[in-house]
Amino acid sequence: MLTINNLVKRRGAQEILSGISFTARPGRVTGFLGPNGAGKSSTLRILLGLDRATSGSALIDGKPFAELLNPLTTVGAALDGSGAHRMRTGRAHLRWLARAAGLSRSRVEEVLDITGLTNAAGRRVGSYSLGMGRRLGMAAALLGDPEILILDEPVNGLDPEGIRWIRTLLRERAASGNTVLLSSHLMGELSETVDDVVIIHHGKVVANGTLAEVIGNHSTLEKAFFALTSERAGEMV
Amino acid sequence: MRITPGRKITNILGAELNKLVTLPSIWLTISGTFILNLALAAAFTSIGQQGAAGSQSILDIGLATMGYLQAGFILLGILAACSEYTGGQIRSTLTVMPWRGLQLSAKLAALATITVTAALIIAASGVLYTLFMMRDTAAGAGIEIDTMLKALAGATGYLTLTALLSAAIGSLLRRTTPALVILLGYYFVISPVSGDALPGYFPDKAGSYMYMLSSADKSDVLTPMQGTGIVMLWTLLCITAAIVLYRKRDA
Repeated sequence: MLTINNLVKRRGAQEILSGISFTARPGRVTGFLGPNGAGKSSTLRILLGLDRATSGSALIDGKPFAELLNPLTTVGAALDGSGAHRMRTGRAHLRWLARAAGLSRSRVEEVLDITGLTNAAGRRVGSYSLGMGRRLGMAAALLGDPEILILDEPVNGLDPEGIRWIRTLLRERAASGNTVLLSSHLMGELSETVDDVVIIHHGKVVANGTLAEVIGNHSTLEKAFFALTSERAGEMV
Repeated sequence: MRITPGRKITNILGAELNKLVTLPSIWLTISGTFILNLALAAAFTSIGQQGAAGSQSILDIGLATMGYLQAGFILLGILAACSEYTGGQIRSTLTVMPWRGLQLSAKLAALATITVTAALIIAASGVLYTLFMMRDTAAGAGIEIDTMLKALAGATGYLTLTALLSAAIGSLLRRTTPALVILLGYYFVISPVSGDALPGYFPDKAGSYMYMLSSADKSDVLTPMQGTGIVMLWTLLCITAAIVLYRKRDA
């Protein structure tokens, strides 16, 4: 269970998040939507304890990220890019992560297999394609077999096969009772994967509910999204 | 699954050590420093052999490379700290080990483990080369093992502390190039150019007394222990600043 409560983030004079509140529940895939720069990544970074909130809270099972006893086995996270040093091999990257969490090296081989990276594992991350980098990020997220997955733009850079793989994987994780939160700006991909939708725009939540509730009278999620986000843009002009 | 505090610290240390040894640039820096140091030691030895050999001790010649040698250890420290900020690795680090003070301390401990070994081997190789080449000269006859070990311990300690101090600065600045410019600029331009204008308690000056044992008869100098204490204080100061800022700011 992820609980974001009245989250505010200011950087200098700029307010990036102005009071974001929503929850991501177990057994469901929650899609976190918004145009680029809406504050999706900032929210996820605060949730993962990377950035500090100006006010408000972002809790994982009721606790801030830094208070988790076993972070890697509780939350699997993949933000943009691979999160790995380009001079290290993919396998070496996963091995130090496993070492930090006290996991076995055989688990590293398992996630390499799950993500289809076994053959590329001995190569330096710098030689990976965008899609392979994303797969490595996913491998790291799955390493601790966590109850919660937090993914920033997981399908970005993946080929159609990869997108289908992610979609199936996320559905399976949710079906077995896990919490999945993913951000995206790709409406089409999202509408086939998510149960709940949170849409943010200019650092504020503009829609929050089940997929059906958010779509409402619009014919697709994409139309609902543009209706919700461009109204606000219209106000600005 | 509950992890005991001791187990947690071992895991973090293991991971940080693992990170350092799987980074090719760390090995390149160490082996490059080793080779360049031997080449310089050979050059200094051959100058020593041509000159009035009796007037210079083997230790002085063998450790004459220290001034250059520290560049390798400055680079080592900076690489250890700044490599976190390549490819977004810092996010991976902090999502597995969100205990920032503990994690950075473990990184420095892992770096110290590698540095002590590397510094001892590199410094000793220079001195042993000189000893071997000059064993038949007047200076070679008078070398005491005890003095040599003390100087080598001092050199190892100095290089290790310098690497840790550089890692702290690297962590504060997060980027390799600015950290390198500032540290090399201080150690190789500002400090030598300003000479005696800079007080003796600056890290490089105080640190030189950790291994330059033969000059201890002058009146204005520090004992090796005083030198060690001063460099340790500088290092701890920089590490504290690095940890405080690391805990406070956005990654």
